[in-house]
Amino acid sequence: MVFPTIEFAAFFAVVFVVSWALQPHPSAWRPFILAASYFFYGWVDWRWVLILIASSVVNTFASQVIARSPSAATRKRALVGAIVFDLGLLCVFKYLSFFVTQTDDALDGIGLGSTVPLVQIVLPIGISFFTFQAISYVVDVYRGETRAASLMDVAILQAFFPHIVAGPIVRANELLPQLRTPRDPRAVLAGPAIFLIVGGIVKKTVIADELARRIVDPVYSDPSAHSGAEVLLAFYGFAAQIYCDFSGYTDMAIGLALLLGYQLPQNFNRPYLALSLQDFWRRWHMTLSRWLRDYLYIPLGGSRKGRAKTYRNIMITMLLGGLWHGASWTFVLWGGIHGTALSAERFARERFPGFRLPAWAAWLVTFNVVCVAWVFFRAPDLHTAFAVLGGLGLGGPSPLVTLPLVFLVVASVAIQAVPREWWRDAEAWLVARPVAVQGIAVGAVIVAADAAVGQQGVAPFIYYQF
Amino acid sequence: MEPSADRDLTMPAGRVLGVILIALAIAALFNSEALVRAGEGMKPGRTRDIVLSVGRPLDDAAGFIGLHLPREGLDLAFGQEPKTAAGTELERGSNAILRQNRKKEVRQSFVQPTRAHPLRVLVTGDSQAEFLGQRLIDQGPSELLDVTTVARNGTGLTNPAFFNWEINARQEVETRDLDAVVMAIGDNDGFNVQTPDGSLYDPGDPGWETEFARRVAVVSSVLSSGGKRPVYWVPPPTARDPKFNRIFRIQNRAVERATRAVPALRYVDVYSTLGHGRYSDELTIDGKRVLARQPDGIHFTRDGAVAPARLILDAMAEDFPALRRR
Repeated sequence: MVFPTIEFAAFFAVVFVVSWALQPHPSAWRPFILAASYFFYGWVDWRWVLILIASSVVNTFASQVIARSPSAATRKRALVGAIVFDLGLLCVFKYLSFFVTQTDDALDGIGLGSTVPLVQIVLPIGISFFTFQAISYVVDVYRGETRAASLMDVAILQAFFPHIVAGPIVRANELLPQLRTPRDPRAVLAGPAIFLIVGGIVKKTVIADELARRIVDPVYSDPSAHSGAEVLLAFYGFAAQIYCDFSGYTDMAIGLALLLGYQLPQNFNRPYLALSLQDFWRRWHMTLSRWLRDYLYIPLGGSRKGRAKTYRNIMITMLLGGLWHGASWTFVLWGGIHGTALSAERFARERFPGFRLPAWAAWLVTFNVVCVAWVFFRAPDLHTAFAVLGGLGLGGPSPLVTLPLVFLVVASVAIQAVPREWWRDAEAWLVARPVAVQGIAVGAVIVAADAAVGQQGVAPFIYYQF
Repeated sequence: MEPSADRDLTMPAGRVLGVILIALAIAALFNSEALVRAGEGMKPGRTRDIVLSVGRPLDDAAGFIGLHLPREGLDLAFGQEPKTAAGTELERGSNAILRQNRKKEVRQSFVQPTRAHPLRVLVTGDSQAEFLGQRLIDQGPSELLDVTTVARNGTGLTNPAFFNWEINARQEVETRDLDAVVMAIGDNDGFNVQTPDGSLYDPGDPGWETEFARRVAVVSSVLSSGGKRPVYWVPPPTARDPKFNRIFRIQNRAVERATRAVPALRYVDVYSTLGHGRYSDELTIDGKRVLARQPDGIHFTRDGAVAPARLILDAMAEDFPALRRR
């Protein structure tokens, strides 16, 4: 089920009422919210729910063994077993086709040929997210950072419908304690929730889809047929599109959870205002960044084992972070660019400790490095990516470059500079209005957003494919 | 999400429910046409029936009291063109358009592309058009082709209440200067069809094939602007699911039939040419095996779309010899 659709609106209205009605009765609320989440997830294909249930069962079993066994070796075996299972799921559904194709190419390349059948496997939506969440849960139990939970709680942690499809990646100690305490129906954080949901809809429909349709998709479809100005607008346009698309989704996810009384972690914190790549990764897809830091970079040794190993760890983390997005060399290169830039930054900091770029220059460099990396993220192959970069300096007529599109790109960056206090003022103002005014205002934005999308409908969220 | 310490940003759940219900009511009333259209675009089933049974009377009532006006104003402001309308030839025309056209026997001639004036091609249709358009660009002589791809996801010829391809075709030929059109469509055409005389046919009925052929003829006539430019029609390829293949075979026959009536219409037979009419996830292209189909067993992957794109180029080369692949 997709958020801004008729089906979801009806689904959420029912879930909202029943969820609050059952809050005083946790033994009834838990099966209800789990069933609702499975219904949401299985809307397209019910078989995906079986994969999710299998993941919850295996990870619950492993975490219970870890929590109860007095033997360190047994605990470790349970942890490794769970991680192998989780990564195995990911490998089969997400990477098997890629590895088979690459093996076939390699065997072909040395004249051996191959009889391995190339098969296309359906990728269950959100598998990368719930798998990472499962790994973080068992590792946290192993580390003693969270208590082993019941199967029901683990299943809800993984399947909770606002975040299952595209995050945020929630850690057990963020959601499980909330599940154990009934929510207060007298104090729903409605101000931030409404702003997040409505803002997310506007970001997705008015900015992301519009930029995709009018400039990004045409240019990436055939960069050589477009002038330098059009390629440049698509270059920055995709940065704006992916921010509005992905943060729009997670804003809606966080807002919907808030309406049900649950707080999910922040996933974006004005990323395009970052003054360094390190700063960018503290602001962009924050729940993935901290996952990679806590469960990959630090276990690899982080920055504790000397300079060379620190750079190695940064590169491994970013390359695997790229591969997490999809089985493609373009994603690997995207991760490689970030890894290289982060390493270069670190090197410069250590080599020239007193040197600081002016803030405007630091912003300019950071933003443009991020945009160059996005080219590889968006392009269907390396050839197209280099064609886009090569097309930036060309001349020619530019009918696709229009003032409204330039405005959308600038606005998507500029809006991040709006002080938080202003948003809080607006939320407080909205909360103080009568219910009818609030409802009419929200309804009017939905009508306008639907008009912006037009008859082609809302395009799938970019992060659905991951 | 940190709540503000000095302001109350909370509301009771009951009030929130009020906001949700009012917002949904406003959206449904002022967007009733979109509600009906969304229902029309859904797969047949209970959800579609519910949406339409609520949406249609709501839309009638909203139209009656003038609640369509704000949305029409917004559509105008956002530059949205209507893609549905009543009384088009697609829904009301006659089968006379399917009568064999004698002119067809004489091959038409079109202005040939040069480096100075490359062939302006529109690749359109449903979601299948996306990769075909991309691959047409890199498989053809790039200096002789200027390709624009506009994929209308989820659309077909059997559901003009959701998306009317005759109207869209008129808008495309009026707003673009085109030398040729590639139309790849049919993946979403599993619906029953109503003929202009009111008869209802399911896929598989002989009447369905005739009606589908008529609709192909109507849309291709508009796209060709009465023979001014060729239209290369690409019905769906074989699918993994035999249920789809039954419908796709009928569609292919219908398109072939329409080509006998519309002089500028060309049928590109991907169905029986690729894999000799047998479905496979993979294809061998230039001696290399590639994963040719997406997990749904219908759509081509980007790698796999090379094969149908070459078939389209071969068909185009019949009219534009300079496009012949070397």
